[in-house]
This record gives sequence, C-alpha cells and structure tokens, in this order.
Amino acid sequence: MDEMNRLKREIDLDRRGFIRKVLSGAIGGSLLLVLPAGARLLAQQVAGADDEPELPVPEKHFAFVVNISNCIGCGACCMADKNEYQVPDGHFRTWVERYLIDDQDNVFVDSPNGGLDGFPAGRDDVTNPLRDTFFVPKLCNMCDNPSCVQVCPVGATFQSQDGFILIDEKRCVGCSYCVQACPYSVRFINPVKKTAEKCTWCYHRVRQDMLPVCVEACPSQARIFGDLGDKESEVYRLLHEPHVISVLKPDMGNKPSLHYLGLRREVT
Amino acid sequence: MQPGYKSSPKAHVVRIVLTLAVIVTASVVLRQVFLPDEFGKHGHYRPGAVEDEANRETRIRTNESCFDCHPLIKEIHVDGVHKTVMCEVCHGAYADHVKDDQVIGAMPVASGGDIKPLCVKCHNKIVQAMPPETIKLVAMPEHLEERKFRTHHICDQCHHVHAPLKWVHEAREMMGLPLERKRS
Amino acid sequence: MIPVIADLAATAAGYVFPNDLQVHWSLMIVLYPYITGIVAGAFIVSSMYHVFRVENLKPLAGFSLLFALAFLTCATVPLLVHLGQPGRAMSMFLTPNPTSAMAGFGYFYMAYGLLLVLEIFFIYRPTLVARHQSSTGIKRLFYLALSMGSDNLSAEALRMDRKIIKFLAVIGIPMACALHGYVGFIFGGVKANPLWATPLMPVIFLLSACVSGIAGIIIAYVILMKISRREIDRGCMRTSVKFLAGFFVLNFTFEMLEVFTHGYMATSHWETLHSLLWGPLYNSYWIWQVLVLSVIPLLLMGILHLAKKRYSLVNVLAPVSALMVLLQVLFMRWNVVIGGQLMSKSGRGSVFYQPEWLEREGILLAVVIMVIPIFVLYLLGKIFPFWQDDHPSTIRGIVP
Repeated sequence: MDEMNRLKREIDLDRRGFIRKVLSGAIGGSLLLVLPAGARLLAQQVAGADDEPELPVPEKHFAFVVNISNCIGCGACCMADKNEYQVPDGHFRTWVERYLIDDQDNVFVDSPNGGLDGFPAGRDDVTNPLRDTFFVPKLCNMCDNPSCVQVCPVGATFQSQDGFILIDEKRCVGCSYCVQACPYSVRFINPVKKTAEKCTWCYHRVRQDMLPVCVEACPSQARIFGDLGDKESEVYRLLHEPHVISVLKPDMGNKPSLHYLGLRREVT
Repeated sequence: MQPGYKSSPKAHVVRIVLTLAVIVTASVVLRQVFLPDEFGKHGHYRPGAVEDEANRETRIRTNESCFDCHPLIKEIHVDGVHKTVMCEVCHGAYADHVKDDQVIGAMPVASGGDIKPLCVKCHNKIVQAMPPETIKLVAMPEHLEERKFRTHHICDQCHHVHAPLKWVHEAREMMGLPLERKRS
Repeated sequence: MIPVIADLAATAAGYVFPNDLQVHWSLMIVLYPYITGIVAGAFIVSSMYHVFRVENLKPLAGFSLLFALAFLTCATVPLLVHLGQPGRAMSMFLTPNPTSAMAGFGYFYMAYGLLLVLEIFFIYRPTLVARHQSSTGIKRLFYLALSMGSDNLSAEALRMDRKIIKFLAVIGIPMACALHGYVGFIFGGVKANPLWATPLMPVIFLLSACVSGIAGIIIAYVILMKISRREIDRGCMRTSVKFLAGFFVLNFTFEMLEVFTHGYMATSHWETLHSLLWGPLYNSYWIWQVLVLSVIPLLLMGILHLAKKRYSLVNVLAPVSALMVLLQVLFMRWNVVIGGQLMSKSGRGSVFYQPEWLEREGILLAVVIMVIPIFVLYLLGKIFPFWQDDHPSTIRGIVP
C-alpha cells in the first residue's frame, strides 16, 4: 500500500518523468499498466510526446461496473438518460433487459421500449417454474479495441486521450458502418441529427466531476462508476477483489471496459 | 513532327499527364484548406470534438441541486428509505425547471391515480425478475387486502412518497406497536 | 418519419436489441455492390480481349468498357442517397481513416474511374479525331476537347496508344478485382455479423461481380442487336456464355460452400444463421437465389453447351439464362446486405424488412437508379460508337 501511495505522489509531482520511467520499465508491472479495465489512463497514450498536451481528465482511470443482482428493472436510468440527451423515441443510449430462465433452460428475454417505462407486466408465455431471473442494464462497453472506431471511414468516432469512445457530430457522415460493426448494438442513427449516437458514459458530466446520469439515477447501486486510481472507490474494490465478474461477448476481442458483476452465461 | 498532323504523336499523352498533375495538385491544396483544425493531432479525429462533447448541456443534476431550494423536502427525503431515489426520475429534468437561477417551468408532481404507476415501477411483484432482497415487492391488490384496506386506496394514502415508511412508523409509534423490521 | 415502437415490435420475432429494430442499410446498399459488381465484371470482359486475346470477344471489347463506365457513373448515387449527411461525403477523401474498410472505396472508385476513362479515350481516339474533323460549331469544340486537342493518328502515335491500352487493361484486372473484392470486404470484415464475417465474402462478391457484368453485357448486346436489326455474332455469343457459365459455377459453388461449412461446423453462430435462412430469408434465399435463379440457369447453360450448333436456341436461351443470373446476383446482394441485418446481435431474434415504394430509399428510387445507367449508356453511344463496324476503322487508321 505504501508503495502505491508513493507512486501516486510521484505521478502528481512529475507525471512526465513518471511516464518515462514506466515506459523504460523502471517500474515493472506498475499498477497502472497491469489493469486492463476502465477508460485508459492518459499517461499511456501521451507517453513520449514532448509537447505534452493539457490533459482533460488527468490521472483518472474510469471504470464502469454493472451489478446485475442489484438491478430492479425500474428504468430510472433509461428515463434519466433519455432526458439528459433528449434521445428520440425508439432509440436507446442505454436500456434494460429482463432475463427469465426456466428449469428447462429456456431463456426468455425482453426489453419493452428499452425498459424506459420499467417492466409493466410479467410474461404470460412462461409456463415452467423459473430457476433464475435478473435484469441486465446495457450501455456503451467503452472497448479498448473498439470496432466502431476501426470502421469509421472519416474519423468521426474515436477514442479520446482519456479513453472515452466519442462521436464528432460535426463530422459524422451517417453511413451507419459503426452501427453495423458494434457487437453490442449500442449505436443508432439519430433521426433528427442524421448522425451516429451512443452512450458516452456521460463524458460531459464526468468532466465536471459529476457521475454519469444513469449512475446518479439508479436507486439500487446496480450501476457503479468510479476512478480506479482512487483505491477507496467502489470500482477499485470490485475489480481488485475476487468477484464473479465478466464482460459481454469476450470472444469478439473488443476488450470492453464495462464489467458485469454476476454475469450469467445466457447474457448476450 | 510528321507531315499532315498539327500535333506531335505524344501530344495527347503529355496533355493527359499534365491535366492529372494539375488535378492532383489542386486536390492536395484543397485538402489542406478543408482539413479541420488540428485534425490528427492526438489521433485520427478532430480534437475540438472532445471539447464539443464536454460542453454538452447537463440537463439532469443531482438531488443536492434540488435540495438547495427545497430544504423541507430534503429533510424528509434523506431520512427515508427513498433517499437513493433521484428527484428528477419522478419530477423531470432540472434544466426544464431552472435556468440561470430562474424558475422557467413547473415540475410535474404526480397526484392521485398518477402516483401508482410511479410506485409499481420498482415495487411490482408481477415483473418476476425484481430481486426481493434488494427491493420491497408488493402485488396489487393483495397488498391492500392483507392489511384489510379497500382496494381502491392509493399508495400515498399510507406511504409518504419521499419517505414511504415515515407515516407507517409514526402510526405504529402512536399506537404503541413495534416498528416493522427495517430492511437493510 | 420515426417508426413507432409498436409498429416495429410487430415486425420482429424473438428478442431483438432495441437498436436493432431498424434495418440501417437499406435497399440502396443492396444496389451499391450490385452496380459496382456490374462495373467490375464488364471491365473483365473487355480485358479478356485486350489482355488474354480472346478474339471471339472482340465485338464486345469497346462496348463493355462503355457499359462499365455507364454504370460507374451511378455507383455512388445509392451511397449518397443513403448517407445521413450527404453534404459531408467529401470527408471520405479529406480524412480517410486508414483502419476503415469503407474509407478506401472513394479512392478505389476514383482510380478505377480514371482508368476506365483513359482506356476508352485511347481506344476511341481515332473516332474522336475523325468526328472532330467532320463536325462544326460547338460539336467540333466538344470533340476537340475530348481528343485532348491532338489530331495525330500517325502509325507511331497509334502504336504508342496500343501499348498504353494493353497496359491499362493489364493493370485494370487487378484493379477490378480489388474494387469488388474490397466491396466484399466491407461486409466480410464486420465481425459482429455472423452472416457477413467470412473470408469467402470478397471472393463471392468478386465472382458474382464477374457473373453480373458478363450477364449484363450479353443482355444488352442481344437487345441492341435486335433493335438495330443486326446479326448476333455467333462466336462472340458462344464464348461469352461459356465465360458466364464458368464464373457462375464458381460463384454458386462458393456460395453453397459457405453455407455448408457454417452448417457442418455448427458453431454457436449456426443457430442464428439457421433461423435466418430457414426463417425470414427462406423465400429470397432458398427459393429465389438458389432454386429458381441458380439451379435453373445452370441447367439452361448446360443445355446451351450441348446444343451449341443450334443458334436459334442459343440466341434465346443465352439472354434468358443471363437475365436469370443477373437477377440471381441481385437476390444474393439482397440476402447478404438485408439478410445480415435481419438477425439481431442479441442472437435471439430477427426483424422483417420490406422496402416501401415511395420512401427516401425506396423501390421507386432504386428503379430510377438502375435506369440512369441505361440512359448514360445511350448518351455515351452518341459519342462513342458501340460496335467495331461503326468505327472509322481503328484497323486501317485514318489519314486526314
């Protein structure tokens, strides 16, 4: 622990020097490089640049964890998100799915209107006893190896220096290639702006030291957001202690930064 | 040059090559003119886009920003089991209510029959997947019948919407009954 | 404009991710690889003569290039119609993303267009010079510009032209392959879509491009000959049908191989693909693309091969089977482009898609876009004679 605190101080004092040390392997297996989770640490990206630019969110390493067993499917997150971004009807930056698995392993999934109005009713097509039931909130996976950025023909969707996948609304041509390429279907074409849109983990709020709006709205701590650089944070604890934790579609190779606590194999 | 022809045998080829050279040069120049500012400085994108995104309007705030003007509600809200519920989930976005410290519009306040849909979003047993260890689940009208109430009663006749157990506890205290076991 | 959720839900089965309810790549994106394929295929016909010296195809050598150019002029129209922000289309040239399989298309397309124009210029230069000299007024200026202001048709100049034609035709083959293989990769490189993500996709696209190009030219040739009451060149017809059959057999084999391999390996994706091919895609894939428009033309072309001496039969069956495989390729494009989007990435559901006649990316516009190249071809025919006999003789050379 002392070693980590010392490192943290060193970063604060002389980031550039620290980066060089990291790069030259002076600090092998530094905590910053071991962790694959979360929006990428800025230091890695700008390392070696002499004219080091002003970093928007310095020394923060954001992570998002969804705790499946805490989600009550109320749709508050979706409502807040729709309101924050004034998302047109029928399109979803985030949504909540309901999974009902019966004792014959039949899986029933639905998400009426993206869970925006909660789940007003049960399912009448389920006849066997249920063995597992849960909700899965979905949002941008903030991949470390994002397909959307790879395929964007004009560089309108990109990975910012602080590791967020963002969209340049002024340059997007609306070709939908990113929509096709995203394995998680978190993207859509905004019918008003005619450009691609998706969840940004509320980049504008994060930059103002606020929480993403869905995290703010969640009444049951199912959505957890925080800075992995802060060892007191919930995300640090979750990702550093043994937990049943996974990402969606790991075989896609996208290396999502969005983690799910208690993810079941049935979830796609 | 051969007799009878005005042009040299290679004239057309030379002219094509020159035309192409002009087009290529013009394209390169035009590209420089139209290239967005600082494009590619940190990667294959326009750095200004990051600031554009960062400057987006924050329409939803936090409960704290609401409590600044509503101290009485705060007192009740933060003491009850609904303290984790966000004001703007039921009342709409802050940005539609306050702008530059001025009230610009009224917030929706559900009353009467409009309240129940808000309650059952979280507390509805019929939804099947809600984890009972996380949230108190009720089925209607069984919940009212068990307690021997008429089934047309509205949630907020017994439950203060900001602190659902407030009146329940107060009533039990007055009648000298033990408090319901508080869920952790 | 914005579809209502209830309507969408009615057109979906199983669980579809909320953002997958919309089919983002519409009918326009079906046309785009279709037209590009016809362009690439038509060029191959021309190169058969210019590079591989297939003498029988000589009558089509010039026409196939004009045919390719006519379709090339329209290849980007469906793309522009489809873009949400067509005004920003030039960004593709301005800031092409090197990792994007789509960004290079603009450059491929331009390079290929340049190649076609140059090839046509050199082949038709004697005609252009002759027309310049025999016309007056604005027409004279027009032909002067088209012939780059040169009137030199000396043996030396024509020898150089022939070398350049050969060179362009040679580099045109890999370029045509790259152009359409590339279009195939735009789909084949999407790992999130199990129907698209196969290394065979560029190969299938390329082979079907050759099929559609040759078929298109056969049909156009027969129609134009009938209209102008000329004799259909028997050798030319026989050879082009032979190439058509050859490419089509390869194309169909690879198409079937792809489905068979998926089914045989039966990975986790097969369940999704199976429910697609035997679900919403059953009619357009198995009935139309495979049974009606592949098996029947294969039988017809087999009959043609056996009865090659009966020209009356050839002249009927050849255009009929060409038309069928031309439609087969259209169905294949539909089944790939639209079919791939019908499966939700949830792996648990699919949507249905039916284009409207009058919507922005609807059927009517698709028909219009497919008719424009025919009109362009007509205009090109006013400037460049389609057939060898109408040239002021490239063989003898013209001496003013």
